Amino acid sequence: MFKGFSCLKTGAAALVVSAALIASAEAKVRVAFGDIASVESLHLLTALERAKEKGVDIEITYLKSEDIAAQAVVSGQADIGVGGPYALVQKVKAPVRMFLQLSTLRFYPAVNGEFYKTWKDLDGQEIAVHSRGSGTEAIMKLMEDRQGIKFSKISYIPGSEVRTGALLQGNVKATIVDAAGRRLLETQAPGKFVILPLEGVNATDEALFANQTFLEKNAEDVDKIVESILTTWREVTANPAVVTEWRAKYKLLPDLPASQVEEIVPYFTELAKGKAFPLNGGGAAAAKDDFAFYTLSGQLTGDPSSLKVENFWDTRSLDRVLSKVGTM
Amino acid sequence: MMASSHVNGPVRAVHSPAGWGLGLGRLFARYPAISRILSLGLFFLVWEIAGRVPISYAFPTFLETFYAFATMIADGSLISAYGSTLQPLIIGIAISGTVGVVLGTVMGLSRMAEWLVAPLFIVLQSAPMAALIPLITFVYGIGLAAKTLAVIMLALPVIVLNGYKAVRNANPSLVAMCYSFQGTRLQQITKVIIPDASPVIFAGLRLGLAAGFIGVILAELLITPTGIGDLITYHRSVANYAEMYAAVVSIILVSTVTLAALEAFEIRVLRPEKRRG
Repeated sequence: MFKGFSCLKTGAAALVVSAALIASAEAKVRVAFGDIASVESLHLLTALERAKEKGVDIEITYLKSEDIAAQAVVSGQADIGVGGPYALVQKVKAPVRMFLQLSTLRFYPAVNGEFYKTWKDLDGQEIAVHSRGSGTEAIMKLMEDRQGIKFSKISYIPGSEVRTGALLQGNVKATIVDAAGRRLLETQAPGKFVILPLEGVNATDEALFANQTFLEKNAEDVDKIVESILTTWREVTANPAVVTEWRAKYKLLPDLPASQVEEIVPYFTELAKGKAFPLNGGGAAAAKDDFAFYTLSGQLTGDPSSLKVENFWDTRSLDRVLSKVGTM
Repeated sequence: MMASSHVNGPVRAVHSPAGWGLGLGRLFARYPAISRILSLGLFFLVWEIAGRVPISYAFPTFLETFYAFATMIADGSLISAYGSTLQPLIIGIAISGTVGVVLGTVMGLSRMAEWLVAPLFIVLQSAPMAALIPLITFVYGIGLAAKTLAVIMLALPVIVLNGYKAVRNANPSLVAMCYSFQGTRLQQITKVIIPDASPVIFAGLRLGLAAGFIGVILAELLITPTGIGDLITYHRSVANYAEMYAAVVSIILVSTVTLAALEAFEIRVLRPEKRRG
């Protein structure tokens, strides 16, 4: 009996040891992107390369959508996800928390100048946005409220580049496009389209999130990643052209076609000018903005003032890094 | 649940434990509906347990899903979604049905047409459609035409190939009989071959409709979210998983009911010999 018991004990010890071995072999930090890598993720890829230089073993996977990235994190098949899983955290009480804001929504309401000039002209008109419950729809609804106008119909056309094309071809007269779309409109048909003013929209587009247990157990790695990203973001904002150097240095996206390589500097210059890279990583202030915005879009429910930051964000890592590198 | 109350009643009447299985078997033989309800009930029970465990944060229980389903019917969102989903489905099936039956018949009658067309449809039938559907948008954009084409791409091969096999394998002794009665080629086709092939052609139409359902849902998920595809993507994006599952289950429900109705029609009208006594 006792012999059997001690046997069991050694067996258990062996199990623990092998489990620890497996764990150390799997100490890779698996990052799940919700989209394929493109020019738009060059700065994030650079930051992750820099975290690798600091000794964090990072493995990146590219998934089809942010939802799937979020599911991968919740189920433990990825450690860190890229996206904004507010609805997931609130509605199914998933134990994931955001810990760093990567970007805020940068969209430009664009209208055909032949028909509309101002927000008021859109009263009773049809507009096109990305999809139901998307950030683009929330922005347009927010402006509807603020301007005291009412759209006759909101139609859904996924993909900013598709909406830009539709606007250029005249299939839609009013829509909302991203920075690349805006530049395309300005180069393809200068003066034909009007970009309507958009102020005070400051919601998270993408953030990094992870399981709470992962954040606690891997605080050191998380800190290194957060620090790499914050410093990278500050460098891009100061000098957007440096992204092409980083691409060469870290051999990022080597197969990028020439036409897209030309896009790199204008893209980052535009975003840096628009202060699209959160220099202080978001945190509680960003969460408050998001509560107001995403309750409007339908991602979150309830009164924004009743939502608690700690239920969605874990700002400990960010706070530690900010006390080290300072706020801007 | 409903299923257990169905079963409990008659089972109580059987006394010996040996008679249990026998009684159940007899019951199922007499009322096949009971066994179906029972199997569904068991499935829902397993679902409910799996949802309560829970196997994933994103997996709702059966009751939550059922509640979401009832809410979505009550607020009309499910019904209006089907209004837009059925549009490309009906147009696509109408086109595939007409073109498919004609093409299948011609292929069955003429070796030349078979050589020309059959390989195309055999390839299409085994092609990974989910990978091809996004390509439609390059040519046909994102509107109704693209979605209808997606339905046709899935439904047409099944209908054509079934029609072609049915006509090609029309009973040779009936064809010989027509010949010996000095029937013309036209009479042979319209009075012997097509009537003899019609049950299999109809089965092809039924399978085509099943494929069309897959096509329209794929199109709504991969091209632009409208109708039921919109309900699925929207509820997934705002983490209303019960509603998302309810929408998915509703598709299974609608396609099952439609196909069962068609099958009943087929057995009643075209294959009286298959009717259960």
